[in-house]
Amino acid sequence: MVGKDITIGQFLAVDTALHKIDPRLKLIAAVASIVLVFVYGGWALLAYALFLFAVLIVVRLPMLPVLKSLRTVWVIVVITFLLQVFLTPGEVLWHWGFLSVTDTGLFNGVVFSGRVVLLVVLLAALTMTTPPLKLADGLEALLHPLEHLKVPISRITTVVSITLMFIPKMLDQSSKLVRAQMARGADFESANVLRRVRDIVPVLVPLFVKVFHDADELAVAMDARSYNSGTVRTRLYPMKIGALETLLVTAFILASIALVFI
Amino acid sequence: MALRLKLEEISYSYPLPGRQEAAALDEVSIEVAPGDIFCVAGANGSGKSTLAQVCAGLLAPTSGRVLYGEESVYERGDLRGFRRKTGLLFQSPEDQLFADSVRKDIAFGPRNHGLRGEQLTEAVEKAAELVGLSLEKLGDRSPFSLSEGEKRRAALAGVLALRPEVLLLDEPFIGLDYEGREHLKKALSRYREDAGASIIVVTHELSDIWPLATRFTIIDVGKVRRFEERADLLSGDVDINALGMKLPQWGILARELLASGISLEDPADPRVLAKAIAAHREANRGR
Amino acid sequence: MAGAAERSKLQILVEELRFEYPGASAEALSGIDLEFQQGMLYALLGRNGSGKSTLARCMNGVLAPGSGRVMACGLDTSCEAGRRAVPATVSMVFQNPDTQMVASTVEEEVAFGPENLGLEPDVIRRRVDDALGLVGISDLARRQPLRLSQGQKQLVAIAGALAMEPTFLLSDESTSMLDYSARTRVLELFEKLRGMGIGVVHVTHFLEEAALADEVIVLDAGTVIARGTPAGILTDPSRVRSMGLDPLAVTVVAYELGKLGHSVPEILDVKELLAWLYA
Repeated sequence: MVGKDITIGQFLAVDTALHKIDPRLKLIAAVASIVLVFVYGGWALLAYALFLFAVLIVVRLPMLPVLKSLRTVWVIVVITFLLQVFLTPGEVLWHWGFLSVTDTGLFNGVVFSGRVVLLVVLLAALTMTTPPLKLADGLEALLHPLEHLKVPISRITTVVSITLMFIPKMLDQSSKLVRAQMARGADFESANVLRRVRDIVPVLVPLFVKVFHDADELAVAMDARSYNSGTVRTRLYPMKIGALETLLVTAFILASIALVFI
Repeated sequence: MALRLKLEEISYSYPLPGRQEAAALDEVSIEVAPGDIFCVAGANGSGKSTLAQVCAGLLAPTSGRVLYGEESVYERGDLRGFRRKTGLLFQSPEDQLFADSVRKDIAFGPRNHGLRGEQLTEAVEKAAELVGLSLEKLGDRSPFSLSEGEKRRAALAGVLALRPEVLLLDEPFIGLDYEGREHLKKALSRYREDAGASIIVVTHELSDIWPLATRFTIIDVGKVRRFEERADLLSGDVDINALGMKLPQWGILARELLASGISLEDPADPRVLAKAIAAHREANRGR
Repeated sequence: MAGAAERSKLQILVEELRFEYPGASAEALSGIDLEFQQGMLYALLGRNGSGKSTLARCMNGVLAPGSGRVMACGLDTSCEAGRRAVPATVSMVFQNPDTQMVASTVEEEVAFGPENLGLEPDVIRRRVDDALGLVGISDLARRQPLRLSQGQKQLVAIAGALAMEPTFLLSDESTSMLDYSARTRVLELFEKLRGMGIGVVHVTHFLEEAALADEVIVLDAGTVIARGTPAGILTDPSRVRSMGLDPLAVTVVAYELGKLGHSVPEILDVKELLAWLYA
């Protein structure tokens, strides 16, 4: 359980087409997809989902980590499914006591839980293919107009990217902490759930202390290389829109139009 | 010599992304007797931390046996009991300290193993005394408000409070200054005398534990080279640098002298070295 | 006076520097007066808590002086504008290789500093390539920093600092978490940089590293208690211990030889002792 399964937020250094695409486009695509997925339903949604998975497979994104990222939310998915299945009125297919399964319930169950699945998959695909610093760059570029409204976009995006950077570090650190406390007799395998919960504290406290300490050190190291939020940063590899991007964006827009109008 | 802890052909490998495996330990065998001060040395990445965790009951080896007395710990044994008998201090005190007060933090270990009331207080006080930490001054303060040196002592006390028979320390000297090092070495000697414990120091610096350690094992990419005596390390045949390590200046000097045919009863005593050098020089001059 | 102003661009001047951390019971620095020149290798020593790290951080603008003044290459760190500009000429590498990395490839990591300076991509490219070449890690350019060994990470950090094209490089115990071969590599690099005219100030616990410096400075309780050449400061073991430092083995042996009536010249390493032995 400790750590290794959670891949949301963890960048994977593989070489896929998605990795090379401008982060701004990926962000827009991800957000747009998520909105579309939650607004539209029915068979069109299913087709759209297939299109998304097809894209991920075509670019050869390793699907195992993506599927693993679903492990963290399977409980929510199941609950969503069950709630829809049992609580939606419609033509009853089967019942047991006061619980009845309706056809609309079943259909909705699939759609709603499917949305959660798609949300996680999209986020995982985004963070797996975009290093935190690039994600921050993309966010900053897209949200830049808000600077005129005095919203401190730079600082917010820095916080976002550092948080993403810290997720894998925190996971490594937590397994180390678990072992340190196990050495002192903390029991993480106990049948007593209360005991397990109580023994999380000796891991969580040092974890947060360490995260704050490391974040502080990182901030100093960034300052020492002239990182001043607010001044314009240039890039070794500036973001640009090329053929690959245009191709994928076109495919994407077409698919979205299909979803909306069918 | 009755052995306390024995590792028989321990191997440990871990999975890498993409179906590969990395071998951290490759058929390592080690024997630890009561009262030993043992140095396990290796460059970063050599597998020494993995070895420490296997010895402490925290990581099951992928093959081989760990024997405590007669019991094979990972196969049938009482793993939790074994963890009580072995203590592991991690490199950084921040990997361990968590409680509201220093007293509570030190008490965490013994409390987990069922100690209460008077027994618990005694265990905590004894541990604090061994490491030189004043509970009157610092006992009720948050461990996070302590200085670096005090934190390290608190963390060590937390491990010693369980009175482990085998005490393992993973890179305990990094970042310590001279006085901090001397202090730690004294605490280790005191504990060893007090509890008859075996002490294993895992480090990448042979100089850390040079005068104190009685036996050395050097790990190089998962494989070990054993040295029963300090003098063996100094023999001309051993290429320490090839193993990723460096002898402390004491060792280099002693080795040069031994290689010139000068004999030294105690290669770590500066007076012995000085006398031997002076005598050799006289002899040379005389010719 | 044009001459002095020009000269001061190549120096770090510390004048009556005092500093106290908020909430601390005592001053971390109690009046420091020092001068650092370009093209020299300095070793900054002292027990834990003596103020060495604090001094280093005042020298590159991370900390503002409590009172007194730090003029780093002509920039006054008492004002914010000065502190902002300093990192471009006084670079720093830190103790922990892991908490300094921000990017997902080595070359982007090294580019981070120049990117912050707003330089053009082709200038950044050149600086990155030069820095990687200077440090000797050009082959690691596309690797992920966090997957490298501790020693390699530290070399990446140094390359990142060098990409700022600094006049001075400060090392805040950058070798204390490294093993022997990595430390040797870093020290060799420092000597190379000194030869190129960069001033290197290396905070360390290891007297064997300090023995390689042009000048050794020892702090204790926030003041400078010793300053001079390694041979002048590190050869008396009791003095070294009183400063909270671990004396070099050969100096202890030389001291014992002295007690036996032999006069041994000031030596700092085994070779020198053996040379005397066979002289």
